[in-house]
Formats: sequence, structure tokens, C-alpha cells
Amino acid sequence: MDFAWSDQQRELLDAVGRFASQQLNYNVIENDRDSVFNHDAWKKCGGFGIQGLPVPAEYGGLGMDPLTTVAALERLGYACKDNGLLFSINAHMWTAIIPVLYNGSETQKKKYLPGLCNGTLIGGNAMSEPNSGSDAFSLATTAVKKGSKYVLNGSKIFVTNGPVADLLVVFATLDKARGAYGICAFLVEKDSPGLNVARKLEKMGVRTSPMAEVFFEDCEVPEENFLGKEGAGSLMFTNSMTWERGCILASAVGSMQRLLETSVRYAKERRQFGQSIGKFQRVADKIVDMKLRVESARHMLYHCAWLRGQRKQVYLEAAMAKLHISDCWVKCCEDAIQIRGGYGYMTEYEVERELRDAIGSKLYSGTSEIQRSLIASLLGL
Amino acid sequence: MAETLVLIEHDREHAKRPSLHAITLARQLGGEYALLVLGHGLDEIAASLVSYGACAVLVADDPALAEPLADRYATVIAEAARKHGAKTLLGTSSTFSKDVLPRAAALLDSPMVTDVVAIEEKDGSIVYRRPINAGSMLATVKVEGDRRVLTVRATAFEAPAANAAPCLTQRFAFDAASLPNGIEFISREQRKSDRPDLTEARVVVSGGRPLKDKETFERLVGGLADALEGAVGATRAAVDADMAPNDYQIGQTGKIVAPELYIALGISGAIQHLAGIKDSRIIVAINKDPDAPIFQMATYGLVGDLHQIVPQLIESIRRS
Amino acid sequence: MKQRQSVEKILVPFKSVPDPNDAVVAGATASTPKSVINPFDEIAIEEALRIRERGEATEIVGVTIGAPAVDEQIRAALAMGIDRAIRIDDTRALDPYAVARILRALVEKEAPHVVIMGKQAVDDDSNQVGQMLAGLLGWPQATFVSQIEFLDNKTRARCTRETDGGLEVVAIELPAIVTTDLRLNEPRYVSLPGLIKARRKPIEILTCDQLGVTVQPLTTTLSMSRPQKRATGTRVNSVEELIAKLRQEAKVL
Repeated sequence: MDFAWSDQQRELLDAVGRFASQQLNYNVIENDRDSVFNHDAWKKCGGFGIQGLPVPAEYGGLGMDPLTTVAALERLGYACKDNGLLFSINAHMWTAIIPVLYNGSETQKKKYLPGLCNGTLIGGNAMSEPNSGSDAFSLATTAVKKGSKYVLNGSKIFVTNGPVADLLVVFATLDKARGAYGICAFLVEKDSPGLNVARKLEKMGVRTSPMAEVFFEDCEVPEENFLGKEGAGSLMFTNSMTWERGCILASAVGSMQRLLETSVRYAKERRQFGQSIGKFQRVADKIVDMKLRVESARHMLYHCAWLRGQRKQVYLEAAMAKLHISDCWVKCCEDAIQIRGGYGYMTEYEVERELRDAIGSKLYSGTSEIQRSLIASLLGL
Repeated sequence: MAETLVLIEHDREHAKRPSLHAITLARQLGGEYALLVLGHGLDEIAASLVSYGACAVLVADDPALAEPLADRYATVIAEAARKHGAKTLLGTSSTFSKDVLPRAAALLDSPMVTDVVAIEEKDGSIVYRRPINAGSMLATVKVEGDRRVLTVRATAFEAPAANAAPCLTQRFAFDAASLPNGIEFISREQRKSDRPDLTEARVVVSGGRPLKDKETFERLVGGLADALEGAVGATRAAVDADMAPNDYQIGQTGKIVAPELYIALGISGAIQHLAGIKDSRIIVAINKDPDAPIFQMATYGLVGDLHQIVPQLIESIRRS
Repeated sequence: MKQRQSVEKILVPFKSVPDPNDAVVAGATASTPKSVINPFDEIAIEEALRIRERGEATEIVGVTIGAPAVDEQIRAALAMGIDRAIRIDDTRALDPYAVARILRALVEKEAPHVVIMGKQAVDDDSNQVGQMLAGLLGWPQATFVSQIEFLDNKTRARCTRETDGGLEVVAIELPAIVTTDLRLNEPRYVSLPGLIKARRKPIEILTCDQLGVTVQPLTTTLSMSRPQKRATGTRVNSVEELIAKLRQEAKVL
């Protein structure tokens, strides 16, 4: 088994690291405090090629295989401290780009993918509702065909990128009685009549990623914006969710690596009781555990991506990766704070923000409980 | 016939004092040296150079040389070096000498060493020490061939004493009509200042990005410089942010200074800046960040807000 | 209406140097430093790209001298957007005059309309090659340039130069050598699409023999040393204390 990157991959990863560390790390503390989305950084990422990594070149992307894609996102997470920006980018890639790429008509793909790839269009997805989170397919937003349009009614919550999105992938039901088979998806452009992107939601972490509640009040969507086939909505959702689970925490692995390295440096430089604190077993053990978590998280991330590249089904691996990496990330952040003592609690040291950002990872893309439930059923229990 | 020819820079009114420091190296090298000035209307400047122990002051005086056009100057300098059999062509580092001397070196088919700070004898020949890597290292180099061109760091050599018996000034004749015509002088910024020249001042006060804007920069950095009768310098960041003009920039790719007293206001101490101030006798740093690298180089460091401290400093100095 | 002709070919010589932002370079640790395109040369590449983007040039050719290891920097230059690159395969420790003579042979082969290069390499800090090249070719030069504009059907260039006395403006006949200063522009970062396009761009390898030039460096580095460190200073706690120390201890006020 060859665990080495090729020269070309290494060159690409180095370019990502250099770009991110030089171009994306400004005003992060202030933007986090004030919940400000960095439009400029988003555009730079688009121009650089991040959003389009897995998209074929004919639609404006770079056509990277899944493994190279997650490695690039990992490096991005290592070099860029703005977890919120990366969360927005990930939401955009897995919940907007992937559905259009795999389910869109040629016309839809050519219309939206280039902009979604180059940073000029921001995508988001509207699935969760106030009464349907984990129980996603019990959604209540309705879609009714009226002539050459569909009319949507309902409300969505936790719409990542909602306040800034140019395009939303919206899941609604054509027939509640048919359950999961009634669900379908629509491409809803901003400023569509009846689309009301309401209040911005304040979050504990990834605060630089904007999120809103969205209302559909007789929202009109042209029929050419129906995505995929009738009855295939829930399958579409499951597929894009599997992509998301396998990839959304790639940058978390990079963040953990950064926390590990800075913690090692801190433990060597900080002296108490006449020696560097890294010499104290209770501190060293925490760092050892961080290292084990980074390595195991990384392996699960790569394995899932590699399997996908081999065109294998990855329901199990994606769920395991998501569950394990989120657990590891939260624990690494806790340890990083603990190692720094009082300084870890201070905003200036930028580790308390990492913990706030990390906690969300056990909730989005399916809570850790849902992941466990999935894995159990895939194991035949 | 002089073994060494020293190019002296002037500003059309006087010889530039730092450019005279190259004479000190000429003296260290031993043998006879001649001085060379180029321009138009050089009688007074030439006369001011006769007591520096040169065997002659060569004067290339012609309207065609009124502006320091590199192609013309290099041609004349190379001719003078050849005609007078000079094996070593020297100048003090400046944008003028850096523009002109390498081109002259090529015309003389000779190598060049920039920013010499010291010489040594090794195995019977002279070797030259010069800073590299933004001054973080010193390289000792030897040069082969019949001729060499050198520039010296003014701050590494003392000003020469002007106490020799006067020598002759000699017109250096050349064919002005056959000089190249590829460069045309258009204009030059003329900023008059009462402040001393940055490279000659006893005191230099410098500012960095935290000075916020041009007005604040002038009020605090300029104000303190004036209270101390010093010159004003700036970091690259301050110049990039338009707080100060390019000729205030001190550092690896700007000016090198070594005043008696260098005061750094709101300057963190990037290696590239430190390269320009290392040889100052006393360095004072005033910065909000106690971990700023400049504090490792400063003789006296004061941690605090320069916007509070500098007005107090100016006040205290004026009072006494 | 005057016909806008393009400057056609711009040649950008660039050097691979240890990353100046790397603490390792200043001697902090002993591991191999990362290499980058010399920052001033990066500015030259950027300027060439901008000139082409405004339709005033058609081809940008990069050239560097070194071992195969510098191919990484060549690819970075191609990824920024230059059209093709030449590596002159020579692993010797060359001096500026040797570099200038090699570049002269290449300029005679490629016949560019303008050569734009960094004013100095940040490892060697010599600031000689551009001027020497101009002297060898007998071409006009404009050094430490912070702005370039083409005039008169691209037969001349108007250049603003950063000098010790402030800004100076000259006009030079083309073909000419221009060396760049810091404020000429801010180079673009390499994008991934650029990186991928670069893989298809040609890198030509030439030897000095093929160029018909034989040079020996005339300058040799015998040794390197660290400059003397300044004695550690002291912290003062107030303006009064500072003034007292400057007056009594340092005797500089």
C-alpha cells in the first residue's frame, strides 16, 4: 500500500497551503466576534480553484479525484484559521455543487456549475425544518405544480449560506402521502418571488459562516429548475449527504494537525516549576492523545475518499469518518485549551474558538447519534 | 596612472559626503588613487576634492553628462578607468553607483563586489567581506582577473580626513558626440528639507505601520526627529502604506544607516529592516508588543503605546 | 489613429532563492530551507503578465539558471502565467558577471523587446546582473523601477525609478533592460487552474555549450560567518528613565 503523494499532488497541496496561509488569515478574531462572512476570501478561494476541486473541467472545475480533493481541503484547514469560511465552502460544495453535478440536466449544469466553481455564485441547501432535523424525510415544505411553475410553501431552518446564497437547493414534497418517495429538489435562485431569507441565526461556533431561517410563501420556481427525477429526491439527498459526511471534516483534520503542532511548541516553550511543561506527564499525555487522534482521523478520511475514488459505496465509511473525526476534533480542542491553561480561555490565543467551531461538527451533516444509528444498521444490527 | 579610481557622487552643488568614504578603502588598499566626478559645471565640486590624498581629481564635465544617465556615465567611467590603467574601480553604495558601476564593470569585462564592509589579506591577495541574506550572514569573497569594481558600505568605513597636500584637478576628455542616447531624463522629485540627509545624520527617527497615516507619521516621527535635529526614516510597510516617500525607506533594499542614535517607533523588527540599522551605536525601540523582535536588538526598549509616549518624549526633550 | 503594436516578447530572468520568510534561512535551524522565486523576480513576472493582459505583449518567456531542483520554481512561474520557460543547466556557483554573460547569449538567441528582472536577489543582494547585461548588450537600462508605461508605438518605455533622492522618471529606447523595485506591483498567487495549465507548458533545457557561451565565475566565496551580535539591551519603564539613560549612560543626548 503506497501511502505517498505523487509529485503533482505534493505540488498542489503546497500551493493550497501557501495560498491559504498568505491570503485567508486576516481579521479572523473580529469576524468571528461580529459574525462577519468574508466575501473577499470566498472569491479568492473561487479564483484559486477550491470550490471546483471535484468538478470536471468541462463545467469549470479541476476534476480532482476524491482523495486529492480531501487532501487539499485538509491542507486548507491546516493553513486557514477561519473554520467558518471553510464550513461555508464545504456546505456549498457538498449540498449545492454535488446535487447539481450528479442530478442536474446539461442545461442546469452549464448554467450554474461554472459560477459555483469560480466563486461568483454562492450555493446553499435548505433541508432541515423546525420540525424535521434528524428525521429529515418527514419534511413538510410542499411543492405544487401550477402551469409551467412549481409553487413552494414552508419554512427551513439552519440554512448555511442562506443570507448570502445566490442559489439554494431546496427539498420539498410533492405528495406527503408517498413519504420519502414524494420528496423532490429544486434550484431556487435568490430574489425568486416568494422566497424570504429571514433572520440571520447566531451560532456558538463557525460564526463567520452565515446561516438563516428561510420562508417559502407561494415561492415560484420555473419548471426547468426541478432537479433530477420525480421521486428521486430522498436518494439525491442521501447521496449528497454521503459525500458531505466523507468530506466535510477534511479541513478539521488539518485544524487538528495545526493544534497539535502549536501545542507541542507551546509545551516546549512554556516553563513552570523550572522546566518546560511538556516534561510533565499529564501534559505530554494529552499531546500524545492528540497525535493518535490526528493520525486515526486522517486515515479514516483518506480511506473513505480512496474507496469513493474506486467507485465503491461508502455509506459505512463516510458515517464512520464523520463520527470519529468530529469526536477527535472536539477532544483535541479541549486538550489544546487545557494545555494552555488560562491562556487557552482567552480569545486572543484562538483555541477557544476552535472548540466552539468543533462542537458543531457533532451536530451537522447528521448528529453523532444518527451516524451511530446508521453504522449499527449497516453492521446488520 | 593610478591603480585605483574612486567615483565620487554629488548633487550638483556638493560632493555627497558618504561617497567620500570609499576613499578610506582606497587608502586601505594602498597605492595611488584618483578621484572621478562626472556632470556639468563641476569646478567647485572638483576643487572641494583636492585634499583627500588623491594623485588627481579627474573631471568629466560636459552638458551631455548633466544628468546621471547610466549608459553615458558607464561609458565615460569605463574609459577613464582604462585610460588611467586603474585596476580597481570604487564607489560608495547608493542608487547612483548601483545604477552605473555594474554597467561600467561589464564594459571593463570585470567582476564586481557590492557593499564591501571590510577587507583582509589572505594568502597574498585581498579578500572582501560583504553582507548577504539581508545582512544575516557575512561572506568573504575573493575576486580574480585583472580588474575589479567594488562598492563600499559607507557605514562600514570612516569618513576620510581632508588633510593632504592639494592635488591637481584634471579634465578628462572624451568624445561626447559618440555617447549612447538610449536613455532620456524626464523629471525628478524635488523635495527640499531642512532635515539632515538620512545617510549622514547623527540621529535618525524612524516609523512603522502603527503610525496610521501621513499626518500622524509627520507629527510624531517628524516631530521627534526635529526635536533631536535628526533625519526621518521609515519601514517598507510605512512606505507601502503611503505614510512616507520611498527615499525614507531603511532596510535590505532601501538605505543603510548607522547613526549615533536610531529611534524605532512602532517597528516590529523584520530582518529586512534590521539589516539597515545594525551598525547604529544606540538603538531605542518603542513598541506596544513586548515580544517584538526589535527588542532583541535595541539598546533601550520601552514597551507601550507610541501615540502616548512620543508626545511625552518630544515635550521632555524640548523642555531641556 | 496610432496602431497599437505589441511589445511582442518579454524575457523575464528569475532566480530560485531560499524562502526569505523562512526562519531557517536566518540560520535558526539546520534543516533544508524551502526555495521560492526571488521576490523581486516575482514582481517582474507579474509586471510582464499585466503588460500582456493589457494587450501590450504577446509572449512571456522565463529563464533561470540552475540544477533540476529549480524546476519547482519554473513550474511556479509557468503557473503564474508565463508562456514558456528555459532552464540553463548549470550547477556551478556563478557570480553576477557570469550570470550576465550567460543571459546575454540567451537574449541574443531569443531577441526579446524588453527584459524585465528583479533588481537584486534577496540571498546575494548584489544588484548587478541587470545593469551588467545592459552594458554587455549595449542596451538602455532603467533600474529600481516602480512604474512602467510604453510610449510611441512601444518603441520606448517611460519608467519611474526609486532613487536615494526620491522618484525619478526616465524614458528609454527599446529593446532595453528594466529592473524592478518593490512597489512596482503585488504579484498574484499561483492558482490551481494555473498550476494544472502549467504542466502542459514547455520547459526547454539548454546548456551553456548549446548557447555557445563559456564562462567562469571570477568571484569565489571563501567562507561565511555571522555578524557580531549586538549586546543585549535593557528595558526602560518610562520616558523619564529613557531620557536619563540616553543622557547619562549612552551620552547621546
